[in-house]
Amino acid sequence: MKIAVCIKQVPDITAPLHIQNGALVFDTNRMVLNAYDASAVEAALVLLENREGSIHLFLLGPDRAKETIRKALAMGAHEATHLLVPDDAALDAYLSASLLAEQLKQHTFDILLCGKQSQDTDAGLTGTMLAEHLALPYATNAVGLTLEDDLVVATRQGDAGQEIMALETPCLVTCSNDMNNPRIPSIKGIMQSKRKPVQTISVTPDATPSTQVMGYEPLPERTPGVQWEGEPLELARRLVHHLNDEARVLS
Amino acid sequence: MSKILTYLAVQDGKIKRASLEVLSHCRALAQEHGWTVESVLLHPDARSLATTAQQYGAETVYYMDHPQLQAHLNAPFLAALHAVITHANPHVVAFASSEAVKDMLGALAVRTQAAVLSDVASFHIIAGGVEAKRPVMASKLIARTQAQGARVLVSVRAGAYTAEEAPTEAALVPLPFTFDVDTLKQQVREVVQDALGTLDLSETQVVVAAGRGVKDEAGKALVTQLADTLGAAIGASRAVVESGLFPASAQVGQTGKVVSPDLYIAVGISGAIQHVAGMQNSRVIVAINKDGDAPIFNYATYGLVGDLYAVLPPLINEIKQVLPTTPE
Ligand SMILES: Cc1cc2nc3c(=O)[nH]c(=O)nc-3n(C[C@H](O)[C@H](O)[C@H](O)COP(=O)(O)OP(=O)(O)OC[C@H]3O[C@@H](n4cnc5c(N)ncnc54)[C@H](O)[C@@H]3O)c2cc1C
Ligand SMILES: Nc1ncnc2c1ncn2[C@@H]1O[C@H](COP(=O)(O)O)[C@@H](O)[C@H]1O
Repeated sequence: MKIAVCIKQVPDITAPLHIQNGALVFDTNRMVLNAYDASAVEAALVLLENREGSIHLFLLGPDRAKETIRKALAMGAHEATHLLVPDDAALDAYLSASLLAEQLKQHTFDILLCGKQSQDTDAGLTGTMLAEHLALPYATNAVGLTLEDDLVVATRQGDAGQEIMALETPCLVTCSNDMNNPRIPSIKGIMQSKRKPVQTISVTPDATPSTQVMGYEPLPERTPGVQWEGEPLELARRLVHHLNDEARVLS
Repeated sequence: MSKILTYLAVQDGKIKRASLEVLSHCRALAQEHGWTVESVLLHPDARSLATTAQQYGAETVYYMDHPQLQAHLNAPFLAALHAVITHANPHVVAFASSEAVKDMLGALAVRTQAAVLSDVASFHIIAGGVEAKRPVMASKLIARTQAQGARVLVSVRAGAYTAEEAPTEAALVPLPFTFDVDTLKQQVREVVQDALGTLDLSETQVVVAAGRGVKDEAGKALVTQLADTLGAAIGASRAVVESGLFPASAQVGQTGKVVSPDLYIAVGISGAIQHVAGMQNSRVIVAINKDGDAPIFNYATYGLVGDLYAVLPPLINEIKQVLPTTPE
């Protein structure tokens, strides 16, 4: 069983950040493995627990994204392809998916896993774009993933409930972080990751992206609220009074 | 003349309110720019549902009513949307964001060679494309984003616009659905509906959401009672979905649903950015938390510092007394 996983390096969104002249400035320059992709790697590792197989990572990104590849190799993936772009390359989901698809077409796999979205942009587009480029059946937002004979069974969180989908291979599944808790690499894993094969291929986007961020803005100001302490009954009365007479949300 | 096409999603036999919100916005944009606004319905009952589209201002309603379009499955819906877009040839196609739409949007963009903006908070038309505001970095800020191209797809967060009636004499245009089911390489085996109320989180005006502070069935019963008293939908943090106390479809936040009701009551929720990303646009936010330093209080209109097990019973009582008629 061959599993391909697309992973992306993203800024640590929990770190403080601010806007300077419409541009985004991160106070720390910490970059991390996209949490949804960590879940995809974990899912691949679980699928291979009692099965022969290998996990091949694909990452499109600048040189410093190497760290992220190492992290996923340290979790237990076997090899990686790094599609190297210059630090300031302008990419959007559409261009990224085309570049990744071109590379993926040269490989065979039974399952291609992606994260359901990038933590920084929440776009959630690349996965289904890849499925279309590669003409693969797919399921998105998976919270469960198993194998049954020749079929991949994905439980997808839909709008009102869970859809249990059976997919023929090769197929693509995008993973929710609600699927599992990604393992933390062990010291042994980290040591081994240094010897695992990483192929680096320089790529150049052959177009300007059709979507572009023109600038960043703060969220609309919220009027500061109030905070009360006290006896439960007193708190309840005060809140109901305000909800009813001030905010007018009860009725 | 340029066209803007709105996809009207159907859930529980009705057009989703979020889709009508998007249609209303598209109608306003069309008026502003001298464009035509059209809609598409894909559902076995599409013909009868089309009257609603007429009420909300669509000038033409394309529909396909094939039985295969009863429940969501990406491949047939993609084929249907592709066919409608090819036929209608709109400049902009707008969707209300949902898991079903997320399941198709990227693939549809590639298939129709369109630029695409997902999950926007607002959008308008500019020369050669669309400009939108997208919440990014777990909704810590807004990215002003432009999409350029002959075709742009855009999905819009629920609650971004208000649905307003504007009756038209829209033409109803049936289109043939030609999809070979034998080519399907995927199947829905089963749909497990979540057993938690019937109210749709993203469509109600009041949401009561539970976090890890709600520790057990007794706490869940209090939350449910509060929600029932208010006619509210129930939301949840990831922590209580993971613990199994609440179903996954109740999850609010970056991974779960984005809601913007009139009133959001966060019960025993700390206010992690990934949760706040899904609820910070609610008009009035109430936080009930025993830790006065919990980050949720930074977002709360009204913050109650207290033990939820002690505060909820009198709160439910007091609300019952002011409500004109308590829903059963
Ligand atoms: C990629 C990613 C995506 C995520 N997506 C989401 C998402 O979509 N939605 C989401 O919710 N989370 C999400 N998370 C998880 C998020 O970071 C938090 O872990 C989660 O929201 C915490 O849930 P909580 O507030 O219920 O629990 P906690 O953080 O444990 O908070 C519990 C709170 O309850 C209070 N409390 C305890 N007992 C009582 C009591 N008796 N009375 C009153 N108050 C009490 C405590 O003071 C505390 O503030 C995501 C995380 C990641 C990494
Ligand atoms: N630059 C990239 N390199 C590898 N995989 C990517 C890249 N960008 C996006 N992906 C994959 O696509 C998923 C969704 O991305 P997005 O459309 O940006 O939300 C991610 O979780 C990854 O699995």
